[in-house]
Amino acid sequence: MSAQTGEPTDDRLIQSTLAGDDEAFAALVQRHKRRIFGIAARFTRNDHELDDLCQEIFIKAYRQLGKFRGDAPFEHWLTRVGVRTCYDHLRKTRHDRDAVALDNIELPTTDNIEPRRAREVLDFALAKLSAEERLVITLLELEERTVREIAELTGWSESNVKVRAFRARQSLKKILEIHHER
Amino acid sequence: MNDDQLNKLFTAARQATPDTERTEVAFETRLFARLREQRQAAVPWFAWTWRLAPVFAAIVIALGVWNFTAPTDPLADLVGDASDEAALVAMLTGE
Repeated sequence: MSAQTGEPTDDRLIQSTLAGDDEAFAALVQRHKRRIFGIAARFTRNDHELDDLCQEIFIKAYRQLGKFRGDAPFEHWLTRVGVRTCYDHLRKTRHDRDAVALDNIELPTTDNIEPRRAREVLDFALAKLSAEERLVITLLELEERTVREIAELTGWSESNVKVRAFRARQSLKKILEIHHER
Repeated sequence: MNDDQLNKLFTAARQATPDTERTEVAFETRLFARLREQRQAAVPWFAWTWRLAPVFAAIVIALGVWNFTAPTDPLADLVGDASDEAALVAMLTGE
């Protein structure tokens, strides 16, 4: 955001927040929550879990705000905090996710598979992956991030991201095949 | 399942962007309520020093009382002194 529109810049709001102005942080939240909600929604099962995870992300950002050096846009820094918190969330809830059920899986054979059904099928299969694999494949295929971006967001090396993405695809195919045969 | 099928599944799922609008309503209010809760729950470390002051005072009093009332054994002190002296002499003379 620029000062040209009359709104304070992110940097100004960060300085005010660090000086103890909660209203400034509320303005930052208001400005960036859509992006954070969009990312977190890929890793949660319902509104309650989504709300909880987003609160965790912004609280972590609030506590770590002093570490923000300003060498990259605040949005990037906040996204990194968000992705890492989502990863922690996936690791914590790994065992709950095994319980995700789906009545019957229809593998897509045509181009016009219904988006909501595709999402349900993928959610079911993604829940069976490890936290690392799920994070990588979600960012790569659903958020359409590049390998380099994922490496920056997660702190993993690019080759590590590639290996995990490859394994995740193999696992996904296997999971979907098994459940399709049943 | 082949790669082509998986890619089609991803393409379709990408179109189903999660609708988060409902959850975003009054999010700031809930967030700040939680932040306030956490701030109130957090006790700074130096607050504990004041809370522990009566405990330290009790320990000092107990040690003082014990120092004055504990029975002393004069013979044990003599034996201790004598053996210390003997050890010192042995060390100096190399015996």
